[in-house]
Amino acid sequence: MRAVVLLVLAGIWGVGAWLLWQSVVPGDLTLGDGSLAGIPPATLERADRYERFFRVEFVVSQLVLLGVLVAYAKYGIRFAKESAAGRIGTGMLLGMIGFALVWISQVPFRLAEVWWDRRYDQTDSGYVETLFANWIELGAEFLFVSFALVVVMALAGRFPRRWWLGAAPVFIGLAFLFGFIYPYLTVTERLDRPDLQAAGREYAAKQGIDPIPLRVEDVTDFTSAPNAYAVGFGPSKRVVFWNTLLDGSFTDEEVKTVLAHELGHHSSNHLFEGVAWYALFALPGAWLIARATRRRGGMANPAAVPLSLLVIVVLDLLSLPVYNVISRHMEQEADWKALETTHQPEPAKSLFREFTIQSLNDPDPPTWSYVLFDSHPSVEQRIAMAEAWRKREPK
Amino acid sequence: MSDHPIQLSVEDDLRRTRLTVFFRLLLAIPHIIWITLWSIGVVFAVIFAWFAALFTGRLPQGLHDFLGMYVRYATHLGAYLAIAANPYPGFTGAPGYPVDISIPERQRQPRWKTAIRLVLAIPALVLAATLGSGFGGGGGYSTADSDSASAAQWFTSSGVGGVAAVCAILGWFAVLATGRMPVGLRNLAAYGLGYTAQAYAYVLLLTDRYPNSDPEAVGPVWELPQHPLRLELDDDGRRSRLLVFFRLLFAIPHFVWLLLWSIAAVLAAIVNWFVVLFRGRSAEALHRFLVAYVRYYAHVTAFVTLVANPFPGFAGAPGYPVDIAIDPPERQRRWITLFRLFLAIPAFFVSGALSVVLFVVGLLGWFAALVTGRMPTGLRNLGAYSVRYASQTNAYWFVITDAYPHASPALRPPPEPEPEPELLPEPEAI
Repeated sequence: MRAVVLLVLAGIWGVGAWLLWQSVVPGDLTLGDGSLAGIPPATLERADRYERFFRVEFVVSQLVLLGVLVAYAKYGIRFAKESAAGRIGTGMLLGMIGFALVWISQVPFRLAEVWWDRRYDQTDSGYVETLFANWIELGAEFLFVSFALVVVMALAGRFPRRWWLGAAPVFIGLAFLFGFIYPYLTVTERLDRPDLQAAGREYAAKQGIDPIPLRVEDVTDFTSAPNAYAVGFGPSKRVVFWNTLLDGSFTDEEVKTVLAHELGHHSSNHLFEGVAWYALFALPGAWLIARATRRRGGMANPAAVPLSLLVIVVLDLLSLPVYNVISRHMEQEADWKALETTHQPEPAKSLFREFTIQSLNDPDPPTWSYVLFDSHPSVEQRIAMAEAWRKREPK
Repeated sequence: MSDHPIQLSVEDDLRRTRLTVFFRLLLAIPHIIWITLWSIGVVFAVIFAWFAALFTGRLPQGLHDFLGMYVRYATHLGAYLAIAANPYPGFTGAPGYPVDISIPERQRQPRWKTAIRLVLAIPALVLAATLGSGFGGGGGYSTADSDSASAAQWFTSSGVGGVAAVCAILGWFAVLATGRMPVGLRNLAAYGLGYTAQAYAYVLLLTDRYPNSDPEAVGPVWELPQHPLRLELDDDGRRSRLLVFFRLLFAIPHFVWLLLWSIAAVLAAIVNWFVVLFRGRSAEALHRFLVAYVRYYAHVTAFVTLVANPFPGFAGAPGYPVDIAIDPPERQRRWITLFRLFLAIPAFFVSGALSVVLFVVGLLGWFAALVTGRMPTGLRNLGAYSVRYASQTNAYWFVITDAYPHASPALRPPPEPEPEPELLPEPEAI
């Protein structure tokens, strides 16, 4: 009976994943090698050096993180004596302490990243500023982990073996809620560019969606890298440009390519699909946590909290390549939609080349790094797609 | 009582002359001019004293007496301005004023402590600023200026501002109405002045003993009448450094919960106000709900300011190391209930001033606990007192009790004297 249920669930999961995997990118599209002509060899070498550091740094930081969490899973329960807060409150405290230890363990790496970024003129952030900027982030994490543990431990207290069935929908709902309110939490201004506003309306119509507000976010304090992103659901939908993209370094046509790309995310419902993918992984993930913590008395017991943090981080690391595959798939679709909308592959190619020149994106990273780290197709792949689109364009 | 060499004594019957209280600031003008001049002299004297103590290990007798008189005089003047005492003070700092301090005999002092005295004194001066001299006129912030007039202005600070200033302002109204200074306000002002005197004595090299902020260690045993809300303190002073370092962040869930609960508590207090107004006592359920809120508020405040160590629970249940015990519902006077919010205003002022003290306690305690793994007892007890007062204020305006918050800087009422054993008649020799 159990096998049948599992089979049915696996089937539902598979169908869901297949539906989410559907894309407008032609299935028979073959990508050649993208031409990196126009990027000076010295820049390619510099980008390679720049990114190589982050690869090594990431691996070391994750090893340290795992080491800290393994130790915390083993000895973390000792901190329970610092609590007078009962079962759930103690669990919350242990969860926050775990995050605090993770934060401490990552401080040297964050500082190293700033140091490296400053060497390559990618940021003007100071070291002290970096430390203080992260306090707010840490506070938000504490709040989230506290709320998550309240939900999980309260459910686990009532349903020790089946809490995950109730907890997963709560977190899916939270992910959706967060996606909805996020645009209201970031400080942005209306984009004061009539040409881009007009292009936004035109592109939205071409992609079959209503016009979407275009906003600008000032990021000069922490980075000089250019970027833009699509956020929100329903009335909170936005396309947000970093002001670094609009400082004149990019041509109007290149910026319009970015605009079409971000609108492509909205017209393809990628934000909703992102939550749906999260839902597909949240349920088995919660089940795995429930299984792993059973020997510590289950998630109803504060003693299981340190172990659960380790399990979450391990699952997170293991799912990173899968997450990247899904993300790259969506980015590829948005790139394709942008080309279909603007019908201009040349600005797209120059835009991607400019990413390498300005942000030092390695256009052709090693495979292992590509699998582990890259949430976007490589610059070479994106240029190759623009070329492939040009070849297929009806004359 | 502590063995700190600077001891505060209070011999005051609380009676005040309305006329002198009404014009107190104006009457004090000659003193203010005089202490300003004296302070300029003290600036030069203390520089000389510092070199002398650095080379010889002790102050010259004349300088010691001069600086001691100055600190005593500043305390007298502070007490006069804060209405903690009634008589017009003398200009020489001679002993015998109703609010007075004892100055120790000069003694040898370790040279290294003398060398870095000003740096070591910073925490004490910050705390003294909130308790006595305040951050405003005459506060410690003008020391940054190098000219002697500014430095003198700092020394001129005569113990009024911060908590003492609030006591003075409230006391001014109370005295004009009743002719007496409320004992709680007098004691609190005197305590603030006592601590400030300890801090000054430390800076002016009269003693190398660090000021002790423990309310039970500065001055006499403070009177504290029985109150339906009492502080229960069961803390060993140890602090977990990790919890200390991230204290504010760990408290975020509590802040959120406290905010939500506060909204409900205010609504419940309004209902409770009507209930008490008509029935003369709280409904049991409302009382329980509001008591739990007041207790939770105390726990969170104690946790955030490092007055207590463990992460508190979210239900306001008893058993926390810094806890509040509240009596069951009792009859409350209707007329007091009717004007409760209005009557609570003075308590809000005192509570507000003490919340600044609590902030400083938390800040200084944070550094101390991070380095030593312990919360200094003096700071802890001062914080616990502030929590007690804030809780009594909350209980008052939430109509849990009609007993007014008592400002005396005591943690708990002094122990009842043990009854004299009855002397049995000597058995007659057979």
